[in-house]
Order: sequence, then C-alpha cells, then structure tokens
Amino acid sequence: MRLLRVSADHFKNAKDGLTIDLVPQARKSDEDKQYEMNEIDSGLFVYSTGAFIGKNASGKTTALDLLDCAYSILGEYRLEGKHYSCEGTRLELFFYDKGYIYRYRTILDTRMNAMNRTQFGQQELVRKKYYSSYAAKIYDSEGFEAVDITGKLPKDTSIVFFVSDEQQTLAVYFSSSDNGADVYSHAFNILEAENLGIGILSKILFIFDENITELSRLDDHNFRIVYCGQESIKSDKELLYWLSSGTTKGMLLYMMMAASLTEGFDLLVDEIENHFHKTLVRNMIDLYRDKTVNRKGASLFFTTHYCEILDSFNRQDNIWITRSEGKVTAVSMREDHPIRRELLKSIQFYNNTFRTDINYDALMALKKELMA
Amino acid sequence: MKELIMCEGPNEKAVMDILIDNGLLVFDRDDLLGLAVYHARQIKTSGQVRNALDMYSGQVEILRVGDKLSDEIKKIKAYERQLMSIRKYCTKPELEILLIIGEKLLSSFEKVKSKVKPKDFSKQKIQYNGVKYRNQTDFYKMYFGLRPKLLVQCLKAYKSSHRNKSGELYIADLLK
Repeated sequence: MRLLRVSADHFKNAKDGLTIDLVPQARKSDEDKQYEMNEIDSGLFVYSTGAFIGKNASGKTTALDLLDCAYSILGEYRLEGKHYSCEGTRLELFFYDKGYIYRYRTILDTRMNAMNRTQFGQQELVRKKYYSSYAAKIYDSEGFEAVDITGKLPKDTSIVFFVSDEQQTLAVYFSSSDNGADVYSHAFNILEAENLGIGILSKILFIFDENITELSRLDDHNFRIVYCGQESIKSDKELLYWLSSGTTKGMLLYMMMAASLTEGFDLLVDEIENHFHKTLVRNMIDLYRDKTVNRKGASLFFTTHYCEILDSFNRQDNIWITRSEGKVTAVSMREDHPIRRELLKSIQFYNNTFRTDINYDALMALKKELMA
Repeated sequence: MKELIMCEGPNEKAVMDILIDNGLLVFDRDDLLGLAVYHARQIKTSGQVRNALDMYSGQVEILRVGDKLSDEIKKIKAYERQLMSIRKYCTKPELEILLIIGEKLLSSFEKVKSKVKPKDFSKQKIQYNGVKYRNQTDFYKMYFGLRPKLLVQCLKAYKSSHRNKSGELYIADLLK
C-alpha cells in the first residue's frame, strides 16, 4: 500500500486545502526515474525523497504531521497518541494497493472517547483499477466505484481496514524533540525487530564517533560500551550525558533509516539537520536514491533549514515551500516559483526568491533593543 | 582517487554495472565514487553526482560512457579542485551495436547501416528468451546479465571492428 496524495481542511493551523502530492506531475526524465522516484506500478511513480523548507514557524512540521496522519490511517487504521490535534479535520487520501487506486474521505473527531482515540466520521472509500495508460488521470473522479464494506467497525477504526486487514508500518516519524534516555533501547529494539544485524549498528556508530568500537545491550537500561579500547558498563542515563547528542540522535535516526531501507517503509524526519553535519544528510539522501540500497522503494521526507541540501534535488515538485501568512501553506517549488533546472536552488533561497528569508527588520529591531 | 563513471543513459549504466559486478574491469566497486555507476550527462544537472562529490573531498577522474558523447562536460567551479581528468568511452553509433554483435548480425547490419539505425535494426531483428528488443534497460540486464563473458566478447569485437575518433576510448580498454 502506498500513499499518493493527502489533502486536508481544518488541519492544525493550515490553510484549507493543504495538499501534499507524492506523485510526480511534471515531465520525468530517465535520470529522475533512476534517482528521485520509485516506480510502484507500471508508469506510476512516487518520490524517493522530498523536502519541506521554509523559515521558522512557517509550517514545515505541520506538513510533515499531515503525512504522518495519512500514513497512520492507512497503516494502522487508527490515530492515537499523536502530538497534534485533528479535531474537525476533513481528510482526503489517495492511495495505491494491489493494482487499484483508492480514494478515502473522512472527517476526524478527536472528542474524548473511552480509549482517547480519534473517531472517523462520514467515511467514503472508493476505488478504480489502475491502468498505466491513465497514469496521468489517477485523481480524476471518473471511474471510481464504492468498495464493499462487509462488516462494522468501532468508530475509532477507519474503514481502510477493509482494504488490507493486516496492520503494517507504512512510515515512521522521527521528530526533532529529544527522545530522552530511551533512545538506546529504542535503537536496539529496531535492530532486533528488523533483524538488522549487529554489523549495521557498529558501522553506524563508527560514522558518528570513531572512538566507539562496540555497544551492546545488557538489559533495558544498561549497556556495555567499548570506547577508545576501554570497556565499561553504563546506564542509558549515563550514556545520554557521555555521548554527544549528535551520536545519540544519529544512532537512532540511522537505525530507523536502515530499517526503512530494509523493509521498504517511508521515513519522515523533522529538522533533519538537527545535530547533523550536512554530509550525513547527503548520505541519507544518497541511500534512498540508490536502488541497489533502496530495493523495496522506501521514501524519505524531511523538513530542513539547510537549503544547500536542495542542490542535490534535480526536480522541483518534490520540494515544498512552506509559509505561514495567517495560515500555513505548502506549495511545491515547481508551482510556487519554478527556476531553471541548472540554477542552484540554494542560491535562489539566499536570494529570497521564495520569500523564505528571516524578517531583516525583526532582527534589527532586536539588535537595537539590545543596543539601548 | 576515485572513479566517477557517468553514463549517458540507463542502458549504458546497466552494462557498466554488469561488468563491475562480475569483476571484469580494471577497477572494482570500491574504487567508484559513491560505490555507484551514475546515470548522468552533466554534473551541473545531476543532483546525485553533485551529492556524491559533496560527500567526498578527494580527487576524482571522470569516465564518461555513451555512444557519441559529442557534448563536453561543463566545469563547475566548486568541484574544479576535485576533478582531475575526463575520459570518454564510446560505443558508436549506438549501444545497440553490442546486441547486434552478440547476435552475430554485424555483417547484415553493415549492409543497411546507412538507412537503419542500430536501435531500429535491433527492434526488428533481436529477441531473447522470447522478448523482443524494445530499448529497455531490463533487456540489457536479461541479455548480458547472466552472460557477462558474452558482453566482454562483444566489447572486444566492437573495438576490433570500429575506429573511434582520437580521444575516444573503448569500454574494452577498461577490461582486465
């Protein structure tokens, strides 16, 4: 099952009609198909990488949350434990599954129920057969037919359940907030759950800190570490203070990435550059675009302030510029302000082509205040 | 020093990947920038190649693989220090000439080459495992993937039967 497009009204602080389309609409070159897209059916592509960029408080996280919301409904049929509210959100999802294009509509109700779960109201689920000759018309309302709903579900379970009755991880969200001391156990849980092998962990650790030659879990809160050749036992809280925040965050994020690439689920990362050198971000992009590594067609979507990273994107429809002018909008660079392909996107950002600059007057007002 | 292999199309990339994966070239995957063969015509327009160059601070020599490669690589100031040399490896007039050689149809093709392109000739005459040639990368993978020695023979035969311009090398020159 693959998410193709999500649209929402009344979602967080977003303008009605916030839409994120993961299917490339502009002309696709052979190079683009090789690197920036994954083919999920003949002639049907989704992006292998996508970026959300904008100034602070422009709504980058809101856009990523919308993707997270859509993936949760499709993969788990439920919305629970989310850090954002979906009260009254009207959602429309297009997704692909086993040769069919599905359209799902619902209105979310987050008023408390016994289990503190979002309820799905006014649901509609339709589908049509996918034909490569109609690849450009997958969203046209023509040809959709209602899906047989052969049972009754609790209100906190979406009828997407009837498409695939087996829950699956379609995406994992890596937030920019601190994960606390649980991060190490979490990383080992991923390692074991996804059968990644200890070799992956040691190679990841070596990227972030060449002094660590071994890290193993003794129990949920205690670890054995070999650092500069010296072996010691440390609790997770000790490790949190002992290792750099970049190593700690990097270890978890790279483990999630390894699982995503191995299993084929998507990875959503908020503020990908947080604690990271640009090369590490470039490396992630490279891995998602290399089909000898990304064999199951996983995608990486992230928010960033690093506009230089965007120079590794050839396309402009997989970069969304977010703005908050009263309400949050996310518009692809191609629609918002297309630039010539050979121009460096970072230079355009520095030139404020996309109106993403920090307000200069606000900066000077603060300076003046401090000078007084 | 790393080798940056930039192929003009996905078919050239498939051919180079087969050669590398079977250990038939004078270098192996560890010698390649990003451990990869790239499908890229220009550095300027290839985000993937720029990304790979940005991750590596050492020197690089570019090996271009294509049919004519008549356009030149446009230099980018940011990478001037890294890029040491550029060499061209051509399979003229089109990569399909390797399939034509593989099918022992070179003499038939020679008779019509002024009127028919190798691509069109291959579409008319070549099929393998019941699949007709349709300019698809999968065809190259199927045709040469399990027969890398045939690919080597075709590359050597191409070199002995064609004369490239000066400065244009043959993929056979990269064979062990």
